[in-house]
Amino acid sequence: MRLSPSVLEIDEQDIAKRLTRFIKDYVDTSGAKGVVLGLSGGVDSATVAALSALAIGGDRVMALMLPEKETYSAKDIEDAQVVAKKFKLQTQVCEITPALEGFYKSIPIFDPADRLCKGNIKARARMIYLYYYANKLNRIVVGSSDKSETMMGYFTKWGDVAADISPIMDLYKTQVRKLAEHIGIPRELAHKPSTPALWPNQMAEGELGIKYELLDQILFGLERFMTVEEIAEQLSVEKAQVEKVKARWLDVEHKRRMSLTAKIEYRTVGIDFRLPHHT
Amino acid sequence: MKNKIKLALAQISSKRMDKQANLHRFEEGTRKAKEQGADMVIFPELSLTGYVIRDQIYELAETIPGPAVERVEQIAKETGMYVVFGMPEVSEKTKATLYNTAVFVGPEGYIGKYRKKYLPTHSVFEEKRYFRPGYQTAVYDTPIGKIGFCICYDLFFPEVTRLARLKGAQLIISISASPAVRRNYFEILTAARALENTTFLAYVNLVGVQDGLQFWGGSRLVAPTGDILAKAKYDEEDFVMCEVNYNDMRPAETFIPTLRDLRPELFDELKRTCELL
Repeated sequence: MRLSPSVLEIDEQDIAKRLTRFIKDYVDTSGAKGVVLGLSGGVDSATVAALSALAIGGDRVMALMLPEKETYSAKDIEDAQVVAKKFKLQTQVCEITPALEGFYKSIPIFDPADRLCKGNIKARARMIYLYYYANKLNRIVVGSSDKSETMMGYFTKWGDVAADISPIMDLYKTQVRKLAEHIGIPRELAHKPSTPALWPNQMAEGELGIKYELLDQILFGLERFMTVEEIAEQLSVEKAQVEKVKARWLDVEHKRRMSLTAKIEYRTVGIDFRLPHHT
Repeated sequence: MKNKIKLALAQISSKRMDKQANLHRFEEGTRKAKEQGADMVIFPELSLTGYVIRDQIYELAETIPGPAVERVEQIAKETGMYVVFGMPEVSEKTKATLYNTAVFVGPEGYIGKYRKKYLPTHSVFEEKRYFRPGYQTAVYDTPIGKIGFCICYDLFFPEVTRLARLKGAQLIISISASPAVRRNYFEILTAARALENTTFLAYVNLVGVQDGLQFWGGSRLVAPTGDILAKAKYDEEDFVMCEVNYNDMRPAETFIPTLRDLRPELFDELKRTCELL
């Protein structure tokens, strides 16, 4: 196998079938009445919303639009509504600015200039809305994290990544775009540049410092235990670029796991309490 | 001994950690197989408990024979059927030594068992953490033929089915819990193991989703020539009736004389080389 864009090709039809089965099975066995998800107007959440609708019917998918004034985008809302209409989703809009301002005011050390810390409040606040709806309506939260951002730790810990299931977490961003188109997400939205929207004009590729087409091939190589040298040579990129991606991937494992504890007793949560996901 | 037998490949989705529900499925499946004229019904690997049960296995495993086997014996006696299913077995001599076992019962009661020899412990699999490997090759001489066994990952190791064949197996039963990402391997291996041994091979795989793993089904009966005689649906529960005609073995063996051509001295070399890997 040699790294090239073709290694990221997928059988969209088969994957759509597997993911809808996965969602339906989890909802059925958990006894939930449906799902709740945040619909941002981006490709990941559009794809997950569509898959959920295909799995259990749009009338059991509550899509929350959670705008706030600093990053408000009429285009995002419009894109989200196109998806909601096409897949006949239930929707509600919650303007989260008042809640955010409540946080900003009530944190004695709040620093408005620190946009990352401030942005993370937004992602975590959205999590609170999603779980309120899930709790109240007896539903599960379906997350929209993809494999590229999960491997890179490009998400807010306990924020946008918080969910009961994450159907597309084993698909790289470029694969999600292909799947999105296949299941009927408009082409323009499927290829829309990604943004976490934690602050105005924040763009994923700009922040990551690499195009997803290349990043995904590097991650694909790391996933398959290829060495940095092999990846760099096959993709004709600098070794330093691959090393940087690898270092970041390894460095953020703490964001992908439950909190670590010290092993003291016989069986320990998160270490050797090995239990099935009983749903 | 019968020259022709009918098999039912019962491709079910087990309810995890619910032995009573799965025993009920065994009973339903066995009765349905009987109604459709089958001599034997086969259920997948660990179908008594589900496959992804992790530490819960210690409270679910039973001795063989034990309560679950006794219940299936009763079903087999009532229906006059042969039944194969998979379950976690706890050794009678110790409290936490487990095996991944295929159980074989018939109208006469408990016939025997086969303990999985090769335990996958890589990727999503963690079988060596829980199970001890089996050491016995199991071939049982019954009124419905000489029946040999292997379980899932055993198919990657040709010596398992070869040993069963050399001990006389005419039909090798392979119960399985194979997730979808590995489907292609098993489609190749089931045909290869039947063909290289010129024997029938009945493969029965689990379906359903367990902790994100989706089992792909695709259960099948393979002829001694490697041809697929019957095949169940992918990914969904299915119940497939098929016929094994032992008379087909001689023409296959004559046309593909792999057993005649075996070279025992190569096995000595294989053993020596393997030890040095």
